[in-house]
Amino acid sequence: MSKKNRAEDRAARAAEARAAQQRAERRRTIRMATIVAVGMALVIVAGFLLTRALDTSKDVSATPAGTSEHGVTVGDPDAPHTVIVYEDFLCPFCGELEAATRDDFDRLAEEGSLLVEYRPFNLLERYGDYSPQSTNAFAVVLEESGPEVAKRFHDLLFDNQPSESGPFPDTQDLLDLAVEAGAEEDAVSEGILEVTMRDWVDDATAAAIEAGVQGTPTVILDGEVVSGQPQEILDAVLEATA
Amino acid sequence: MDGRVVGWLVLATRLVVGGVWIVAGALKIPDPASSVQAVRAYRLLPEAVVPTVGQLLPVVEVVVGLALVVGLLTRTMAVASAVLFVAFIIGIASAWARGLTIDCGCFGGGGFDPDAAEKYPWEIARDVALLAGSVFVAAFGHRCRWALDHVLFRRTPLES
Repeated sequence: MSKKNRAEDRAARAAEARAAQQRAERRRTIRMATIVAVGMALVIVAGFLLTRALDTSKDVSATPAGTSEHGVTVGDPDAPHTVIVYEDFLCPFCGELEAATRDDFDRLAEEGSLLVEYRPFNLLERYGDYSPQSTNAFAVVLEESGPEVAKRFHDLLFDNQPSESGPFPDTQDLLDLAVEAGAEEDAVSEGILEVTMRDWVDDATAAAIEAGVQGTPTVILDGEVVSGQPQEILDAVLEATA
Repeated sequence: MDGRVVGWLVLATRLVVGGVWIVAGALKIPDPASSVQAVRAYRLLPEAVVPTVGQLLPVVEVVVGLALVVGLLTRTMAVASAVLFVAFIIGIASAWARGLTIDCGCFGGGGFDPDAAEKYPWEIARDVALLAGSVFVAAFGHRCRWALDHVLFRRTPLES
């Protein structure tokens, strides 16, 4: 064998060794990256199981429909299905839920297949006086004029819901709406204008928070929280009562 | 640009972006119910996946943040970070465009917020800046300083 051939042979062997080493290195890199990635995935799965266990969205134990002191009910108390709606008169999602569900809820209540209880409370006072003032007005109307007028007043409050950035109706506007709903002006004016049922509002709010309500609207169908967009909530109720 | 300057810049960017992720995720983990509510308020995802996304996101944020800070799979994690920021920018911009007034839920909270419209531009600007940082790390992450990757994926010098 010539000298030249031996030199070429050596170079080829060296190149081969380098290539083998690169392959080994790539394998090692891939193996290490896989180990790290699997480790991260395991951490994510463990964390997910933790947050899932910590998620209290569905843990609402509300007093059964028709037994709360802080709501107005529509429908037969012995109806086979019940819906409880926790809401704040200022909350825009509540307004949308009302718009999407009210006609069907009223119809189902009338037909006797659904008992609906609306439980307004004061969730959004941090954005102004409207939440407590409107909830107070609701309480006054419920006490002085009875549930039917209170339900109409509740509907009117949502039909005339202010933009969340204001301007907000004042207590005189609330009184006008209450009269429009059928309340006797003399019976409710002091209570609404002077916000005399603030204790009721605070009790209703405490009861909602105590029950585990975390936001509005919170809808409870036959004892279970139903979440989703207004249409999805309506669909769930329609399906249950079908 | 000088390679060493790039290395230190990548490190600084990693710490900032990763730090933001850790804070954002850690604030949400104790209260997944709010996180789920924040996701729902965007009205972009079907209810079937809303709870899972709301529960999973905070955990993913913390893991991505930690990986960026310590420099573990740095470039891959920077790509994941960039993808998340793109998703958040789309979410906030679409909430803004649809006239929703929601807290972005970026650092906990979420849901209705009457002052949201004033905050959207800032939130988007912040996320765009963090997205740019993520892309920078993804592009130059192999040159960064002080990364665990350098220990785990050490190159053996070739013998010649």
